[in-house]
Amino acid sequence: MEVSFSKEIESLRLGAGQAFHGEGILAITKALLQSGVAYVGGYQGAPVSHLLDVMVQARPYLDELGVHVEACANEASAAAMLGASIHYPLRGAVTWKSIVGTNVASDALSNLSSPGVKGGALIVVGEDYGEGASVIQERTHAFALKSGMCLLDPRPHLPTMVRMVEEGFRLSECSNMPAILELRIRACHVRGSFVAGDNLARPVSTRALMAEPAGFDYMRLAHPPVTFRQEKLKGEERIPAARRYIAEHGLNELMPGRREDLGIIVQGGLHNALIRALQQLGLADAFGESEIPLLVLNVTYPLVPEQVAQFCVGKRAVLVVEEGQPEYIEQEIATQLRRRDIQTRLHGKDLLPSGGEYTVEVLAQGLLAFLPPPPGEGGGGGASASAAPLTPTLSPEGRGSEWLAALKERRAAVAAQLSKPLPARPPGFCIGCPERPVFSALKLAQQEMGPVHIAADIGCHAFGTFEPFSMGHSILGYGMSLASRAGVSPMMQRRTLAIMGDGGFWHNGLLTGVQSALFNGDDAVLLIFKNGYSSATGTQELISTPAEPARHAAPDKGASLVHTNQTIETTLRGLGVKWLRTVHSYDVARMRATLKDAFTSDFDGLKVIVAEGECQLERQRRIKPWIAGLLKKGERVVRVKYGVDEDVCTGDHACIRLSGCPTLTLKDNPDPLKVDPVATVIDGCVGCGLCGENAHAATLCPSFYRAEVVQNPRWHERLLASVRGAVVRLLQPA
Amino acid sequence: MTAQAPISLLVCALGGEGGGVLSEWLMDVARAAGYAAQSTSIPGVAQRTGATTYYIEVFPVPLAQLGSRWPVFSLSPVPGALDALVSSELLETVRQVGNGMSSPERTLVISSSSRALTTQERMQMADGRLDSAELLRIVQGFSREHHVYDMAALAKEAGTVVSAVMLGAIAGSSLFPFRREDYEKVVGAGDGAGALASLRGFAAAYERVHAPRQWLRDAGLEATAAPGAQEATDWPAPVRQLATLGVQRMLEYQGPEYAALYTARLRSVLAAERQADPAGRHDFAITREMARWLALWMAFDDIVRVAWLKGRAARWQRVRREVKAGEGDLLRVWDHFKPGVPEFAALLPAALARRLTAWDRARVARGAAPWALPLKVGTHSVFGMLSLRFLAGLKWLRPRGSRYALEQALIERWLGGVLAAAQRDWRLGHEIAQCGRLIKGYGATNERGKDNLLHVLEHLAPRGEPAEAAAAVRAAREAALADDAGKALDAALQQHGAPPRPVKAVPVRWVRRPRGLPAAKES
Repeated sequence: MEVSFSKEIESLRLGAGQAFHGEGILAITKALLQSGVAYVGGYQGAPVSHLLDVMVQARPYLDELGVHVEACANEASAAAMLGASIHYPLRGAVTWKSIVGTNVASDALSNLSSPGVKGGALIVVGEDYGEGASVIQERTHAFALKSGMCLLDPRPHLPTMVRMVEEGFRLSECSNMPAILELRIRACHVRGSFVAGDNLARPVSTRALMAEPAGFDYMRLAHPPVTFRQEKLKGEERIPAARRYIAEHGLNELMPGRREDLGIIVQGGLHNALIRALQQLGLADAFGESEIPLLVLNVTYPLVPEQVAQFCVGKRAVLVVEEGQPEYIEQEIATQLRRRDIQTRLHGKDLLPSGGEYTVEVLAQGLLAFLPPPPGEGGGGGASASAAPLTPTLSPEGRGSEWLAALKERRAAVAAQLSKPLPARPPGFCIGCPERPVFSALKLAQQEMGPVHIAADIGCHAFGTFEPFSMGHSILGYGMSLASRAGVSPMMQRRTLAIMGDGGFWHNGLLTGVQSALFNGDDAVLLIFKNGYSSATGTQELISTPAEPARHAAPDKGASLVHTNQTIETTLRGLGVKWLRTVHSYDVARMRATLKDAFTSDFDGLKVIVAEGECQLERQRRIKPWIAGLLKKGERVVRVKYGVDEDVCTGDHACIRLSGCPTLTLKDNPDPLKVDPVATVIDGCVGCGLCGENAHAATLCPSFYRAEVVQNPRWHERLLASVRGAVVRLLQPA
Repeated sequence: MTAQAPISLLVCALGGEGGGVLSEWLMDVARAAGYAAQSTSIPGVAQRTGATTYYIEVFPVPLAQLGSRWPVFSLSPVPGALDALVSSELLETVRQVGNGMSSPERTLVISSSSRALTTQERMQMADGRLDSAELLRIVQGFSREHHVYDMAALAKEAGTVVSAVMLGAIAGSSLFPFRREDYEKVVGAGDGAGALASLRGFAAAYERVHAPRQWLRDAGLEATAAPGAQEATDWPAPVRQLATLGVQRMLEYQGPEYAALYTARLRSVLAAERQADPAGRHDFAITREMARWLALWMAFDDIVRVAWLKGRAARWQRVRREVKAGEGDLLRVWDHFKPGVPEFAALLPAALARRLTAWDRARVARGAAPWALPLKVGTHSVFGMLSLRFLAGLKWLRPRGSRYALEQALIERWLGGVLAAAQRDWRLGHEIAQCGRLIKGYGATNERGKDNLLHVLEHLAPRGEPAEAAAAVRAAREAALADDAGKALDAALQQHGAPPRPVKAVPVRWVRRPRGLPAAKES
């Protein structure tokens, strides 16, 4: 990764009393150091990638502190790393994207939770839920419940987030439970400030090593028969200890309000949205003071039954604001109220939607249903009918319902004014991405061979499922493509194709896919995108990333360097792959021929095609300073750009349907006889060459040209060009 | 309860436009000016050219006056409760307006008029672009106040990225209680040239929004100016311009005789239309359409024409401009050609062409790819230019070639179809004339278009009621442009009772492989 986090690393060094300014996820990173964390691990993924990226780049500073950082191979290896805290008084933190990462990690998490931890273990998960999410909409909460881990969901307010990290370690230690701290997408990227503390010294660290291993203790193995005892410990000791800590240290916040007959219990992460919804209804002020009392759960598991009961007792009705399904918190509260025979009416998912993000608008609708109707209206879905209105603004004519009605009206009005729905703008391949040409080749190959079943995967190449390619039948998980076609290919006349990135290959595709296909003697085609990085998550480095010396030695910094690292190929050969082809991903014609070869070959084992082309993002990060340096020194630089001859272009846009590059777009036809817009290459083209390759491979129209602009040419070039130019000009018609 | 509420701003941008830097700048400005603020975003995978948003709230009372209290800010924008919406792309502006974000009572909308076309708009076979005027009307109709101007152009002029321009617009609108100097101090804090360019972009946008409303005239959405064509006196006025362009195109393409053929064909259309619509109620729309499509079809693209277009001096100058080659820079241009057997056969007499084509077909039947010659011709080189000139010089061969004969025959069929239809019903004639739009491109694209047109002529044009036939032709034409696999066209054909197009034989070779089963024979 060539992105620099030097500014962020500086803020990790802040000491007590200094002000920290920055994003939520960086605040959490700083909080880990303030908590005296001894080891950090994780696997990249939005929205928590930064935590690990910054830690990896901050290695020299962390070395000073004696903190070990590990970029793990996947979430399972990160979770297993927490095993260090089982025996030793070491605080450890790992991070990943949830829900997918938690799924991958769950085996280790079960085996960690059962013996329990001695040193605090904190898992920072990016709850990738709601707008902007890129994974399945499920709750991490289920894992906390089933394995017996504490779950923190801090209010998105930097000082609270930082405090909850510190409390999370203490909570973990006093209860022996590992703790999860979940952060929603916007909370990770929220910018704010807090007053920093000193980074805590560690009793044991890479600079203060332990002399002896712990003694043998069967109780610390997740292995029968002690697992039976461990299960009892969870209910009898650990959860009660956690509850005591939560209550005694005020981790959950009670916010009083004038209307004591009502109450709202809210997940910490939703606090700000709830306050804004209350503000919209005139029930809270700018500083979050609410008319209705709130119980803000910064710890959503375990709940403290006494705290909940105390909050509910004497109230007519309580609303539980809990995002996602099923409504675990509401169900538990219902049980507790029932057991204690507390007659407060309980609302939650009956008034709020079961799925989807709880935006301010959604919450306001739920609140309107919860609040007592104005006098004379009676009934109502919410708190008991006999009560007086809370405020005059809450009548049906009041500002809350007026605002919501206006929204509905306005959306309908805009839709009516549009002659067609607005096209979506999903993310896509970068300009010059080496994966785009492979999908062009695959599209062309299928035009000749007929369609094939394509098992898609997670990674940048999943953008191939969007227009103009629209390819891929299933996505079962990261690195799972080859495994996910194991039931399809025996049932189908044509061979199937599995697509995998190098990130997915190392994450688990090598084992679940390649090893399994080889062992079972499967006939399948696997296409590996070898771009050198885990690109979709921010170009983290892999074991197959071009090494630093190769980058240094390359005379042309713009050239792809992934061929310098052959770890994938040697691994495949070592495993026993017999049919292996490497194709430069920009060579569309050869890629098409190789695909056809793989699909028609007499070889009936696993056929692997490695599409080699380095991530363009990384290459551009290398090229830009290099070119700038050369130009500054007055040295020769060749810049490549592609273009379209507007009078030759047919206006059919077949080139765009084969490419989709953002810089290959449309402009009005300059020919007054023609009506359809022509293709054009706009600024930003990095001269990857795909346009020309496609023009040849697909026999498109002859309108594409490749232009090379030579800056600071040498004297003999200049001379040749002037002679040649003179002759050419003589030949040119006007 | 205090009536003060945070000032809210939603920023819409595309991945890679520097929206993250913009929100960081705003946070820094707020802090320097002494105000409480918060920003959030959902970058995720949207970093790769997808649409993304940033949300910023600033509390309008200086921190110093708040004591120790800190406002609670929202992490997501509240529809209808926005004070401002700033966007670098017109469609994204309208997307957020459509989400209900902008309120006509409250929201100031500052949007770029520039478009970054979505893939869906770009990939259509005809013109799939949304109408910017329609988008602009929505911005105007659903905002308290709006400023629309070309931010991309402004950024380009200043040599900076659009985030600096957006910040200038925000500052210029006086949305937040910060002074211009507060902003400039933060933007100028970066290093050297980049910071200066950012300041230029900032200032340009600031002036634009802050200055009086003279620029409020709708940003230049009208493009293509009419070309200065010479007058041809004897055509009806609505036809004149296109007919003149057509004649010019024929002269340039082949010569005076060919131009005369064009004129004669167009005159037959004019005569037929005069019969169908003696009062001229339709402003000679059939003839006008035919003037356009006939000229384009008659000047069908072949290697001779492409070589001529690519060899011109004017083209060299245009490429120099497009790739922004500097004064002392050398330019080398390679043109991508891949002529195949059809391109060469086109210039040969029919008998020879048949033999060449038969040879190629035999190759394909044997499993080889069709023969083609991928070329990268260096137009900057003497050899390259000589090659282009040689090919362009084959113009004399064109009328003797097989392609010419084929195209003329098809043109006559279409023309005949238009004339016959116009006699039955003006509308039907008009619809068939517009089917000329189906003919474009080279190679397979061109053949597909011709097949589609012939199919429509044969099966839809002669059907029952003229009005019905006109509707069917129109539906089929629109469907033919919807997807290149022809799925929509086949559906439309069937819906109007016509047979689907015949399936073309495509050689498919498969290896049937599950072990223990005999190899399946597919072809």
